[in-house]
Amino acid sequence: MSPTSSPDRTDRIRGKTYLGIDVAGALGLTGTMIAYLSLSSLIPVAFALGYREPIWPFVGAGVIAGGVGLGLQRIGHRSPGPIGFREGYLVVSLTWLLAAMYAALPYLLSDEKQVSRPVDALFEGMSGFSTTGASVIADVDALDRSLLLWRQLSQWLGGMGIIVLALAVLPRLRIGGRQMFESELPGPEVHQLAERIRDTARRLWLLYIALTAVLIGLLLLIGVTGLDDRMDPFDAVGNALTTMPLGGFATDPRSLEPFAPVTQWVVALFMAIAGLNFALLYLALARRRPRVLVRDEEARLYVAMLVLGSVVVCAELIHAGLFSGEEAVRQAVFQTTSLMTGTGFAITNYVSWPTLSIMAMIGLMFVGASAGSPTGSVKVVRHLLVGRLLRRELRQTIHPELVQPIRLNGKTVDERTLRAVLAFVLLYIGIFIIGAVLLAVDARVSSLELGMTEAIAASAGTLGNVGPALGFAGPMGSYAPFSDFSKLVMVVLMWIGRLEVLPVLVLLTRNYWRV
Amino acid sequence: MWKGYPPARMRIVIVGAGQVGSTIVEALHSDHDLTVIDVVRDRLEPLAYRYDVGTIEANGASRRALRDAGVGDADLFIACTSRDEVNLVACSFARVEAPHATSVIRTSNIEYIDLWREGRLDVDFAVSSELETAHAVSRSIGMPAARQTDVFAGGQVQIVEFEVPEGADRAVVDRPLREAKLPDDSRVFGIIREDTLTLPRGGESIRAGDRIVVIGSPTAARAWGALLAPGEATVKDVVVFGGGQMGTAIARLLTAQDIGVRLIEPDRDRAREVAEELPKCRVYNATGVDVDFLERELIGRAQAAVFAIKEDPKNHYAATLARVHGVRFTIAVVHDTISTKVYELSGVDVTVNPRGVTAEEIVRFAHDPRTQQVAMLEGDRYEVLDMITKPTSEYVGLKFRDMPIRGAMIGAIVRDGKAIFPRSDDVLQAGDRVIVFTETKRVPDVERVL
Repeated sequence: MSPTSSPDRTDRIRGKTYLGIDVAGALGLTGTMIAYLSLSSLIPVAFALGYREPIWPFVGAGVIAGGVGLGLQRIGHRSPGPIGFREGYLVVSLTWLLAAMYAALPYLLSDEKQVSRPVDALFEGMSGFSTTGASVIADVDALDRSLLLWRQLSQWLGGMGIIVLALAVLPRLRIGGRQMFESELPGPEVHQLAERIRDTARRLWLLYIALTAVLIGLLLLIGVTGLDDRMDPFDAVGNALTTMPLGGFATDPRSLEPFAPVTQWVVALFMAIAGLNFALLYLALARRRPRVLVRDEEARLYVAMLVLGSVVVCAELIHAGLFSGEEAVRQAVFQTTSLMTGTGFAITNYVSWPTLSIMAMIGLMFVGASAGSPTGSVKVVRHLLVGRLLRRELRQTIHPELVQPIRLNGKTVDERTLRAVLAFVLLYIGIFIIGAVLLAVDARVSSLELGMTEAIAASAGTLGNVGPALGFAGPMGSYAPFSDFSKLVMVVLMWIGRLEVLPVLVLLTRNYWRV
Repeated sequence: MWKGYPPARMRIVIVGAGQVGSTIVEALHSDHDLTVIDVVRDRLEPLAYRYDVGTIEANGASRRALRDAGVGDADLFIACTSRDEVNLVACSFARVEAPHATSVIRTSNIEYIDLWREGRLDVDFAVSSELETAHAVSRSIGMPAARQTDVFAGGQVQIVEFEVPEGADRAVVDRPLREAKLPDDSRVFGIIREDTLTLPRGGESIRAGDRIVVIGSPTAARAWGALLAPGEATVKDVVVFGGGQMGTAIARLLTAQDIGVRLIEPDRDRAREVAEELPKCRVYNATGVDVDFLERELIGRAQAAVFAIKEDPKNHYAATLARVHGVRFTIAVVHDTISTKVYELSGVDVTVNPRGVTAEEIVRFAHDPRTQQVAMLEGDRYEVLDMITKPTSEYVGLKFRDMPIRGAMIGAIVRDGKAIFPRSDDVLQAGDRVIVFTETKRVPDVERVL
């Protein structure tokens, strides 16, 4: 038999080899994640039972998500082998998109009017898991308590990362986990806390849970002791669940404004803490090595920028006669911390603040907190590295032959990492501009009153996972007036922003799918 | 290790018959019985004919070869090939075969030298060509008035011997030490006067014509240099040509002394490595013979230039070109003994031969094993010890002011990788690495109590 006559061989050569990635395997793994994630609906079910509210929205969401997850998992059985490095991007991106849809289900299944439309529900769901905090719900008081809790909980689950959580609890995800872990955890480099990625993930989550518990305890204490009349146990839990992930969904339509100054100070402090690198925070708290945090260049710059932003805003607030004394300091510190870390809480409607403060607010949205924290945006370490790159570029203009490695905490940073940082910042700015333009164009088409700063703030606020923008979408308002198209644009911005641009964009290249 | 002085006539086994080995043979063959081991016959034959020494053609890192060479009854074992690993293995075999022989190792790795200083490397003496050369270079351009510099703890601690000239700053000279304004983070370890060294007490004062031994941070050492020789400008700009191991070692030592160093290395990857290793040094990726580059970077304005390019012809050309561009003081690292003359003829100010320097150091040790550390401290009465405090030491937890050490002084401690120059109310902790200056006869006491 001559070789060419073998149908088997012809088939093998001419067969579908152009697809370079194992889609079935990726879908299977995504399915596993979603199936496990669907168990989280049991928590609001318990609350709904306790509050005697309908449990069906959550049961329904759990069942649908579980079913979809298991279905996808079955597809995974067709996969030829364990998935690799390339499939990781697809798994991460898809998991987050499906997670947002899962978070949207209870809103759809409930009879709550404010989020009854699919686009609104998806917006709220993505805003939840991506810890953005932008909301289409103007009046959260109208929500069932269990539904409100679900909204807070979605931010808490998204904060430390769904995949990091999966790596921590699922036994099966060992191989291929590291790369997904890195594309989900914010920042250019990941601090390794243990040899196994799984142990690192566990430690991060334990620290996250512990800090949340401490904050809940403190807020409860403030409520019980009568320091804050407005603080009841539900508010304590609800707001703690969105402070630690730097989310920003509040349990009151006027965000944290109705709460007492002491509450606002405590929340400001915890926002600042949550904006530190969790790996370093773990070493500082659990291993009692506070020096690693104090010496860290990123942490230092982060604190310096918080202080600088607060001072500038505080000076202007006093100068403009808006606030004085402790209140001026509190307003400046709280609002700076909230917007820089990408939380999005507010203790006043800063929409009407003077120009410099508004500029500071928008500018801070591009700073972000430390890498390795649940923040969004560019992150302080990238600003640090880009600054050093530019300084080197200036020096090399005069001394072309000068060889100058860029260092971070005394260690040289790989040139590839630097290129990735630069690419990230450029892509980030590009996407921000495209987002702002799309919002402006769509506002014109749908004849929505949207000023330039408002379009900018909405794009920066959603891409940076900050939350509130300016104008009607300000801290006390809602995103509801935007058209469906604009909302979908912002859903994509939140998605891209949470996964730090590259994992999503890489899916849009032909090379990714080809052999 | 010998007790006291070495025997007058020794059996010496030398592994490695390269330039270092040959120089050692040349210096020692008339007084001692030598056996040389090398893998290359061509290197051994000239030695055998010229100096009447035993030769064995074998791998020095082989136990059998060492046994054949009779290492068992050797008094001194020297491993001086150009490869660290061969030397280390040869030394550890020699330790097994001849537990009582004194062992000397040549290494180019500064980590090994540090390890040996901490007493964790089982050899009696370790020499690095690179370090010895760097010291020689630094001596000729380094601090004015400084005679010798020794570096500990990665450059954080320096021990410097100064000559005190007439006209030194009155803040430190001619007044009791306890009243003198000494630079921060430094102590006077010893005063050498009329060839005797004393550990100074507070009432003592420094006089012109003395030599003093100072321990301190690099900044403090420089401050001392400025105080003792106020007229001479300190060196701020030295250009090193060539970023090989030699050039890097020189740049490292000079930057540790707070001297500004520019280093030129033609290989892109190597330049990057050097730049990563030496954050304080400015590294250029260029050839030292690119005229545009030399002019653009104003190399001619450098106060001194060191030439450490591996090939002598290139090195020589670069040195000559630098002189043309106006560099005032040039030092060349010479690889071939014969090149020294060439460099001198063309007007290079100082030449240093690394292998020669290394061999000299080993020969010096063979003659007198007490000369390990700081420039020789008179009459072998003093030594610098670099050791780790035991948790059981009775001094742990004591304030420095309360320590009843006689004839010894703790000059610096290294804790968590950082050098501390203890004040009287600082406390010694277990695990501190201490650098102690002590009378030789008290070495066992100091080792026991710490």
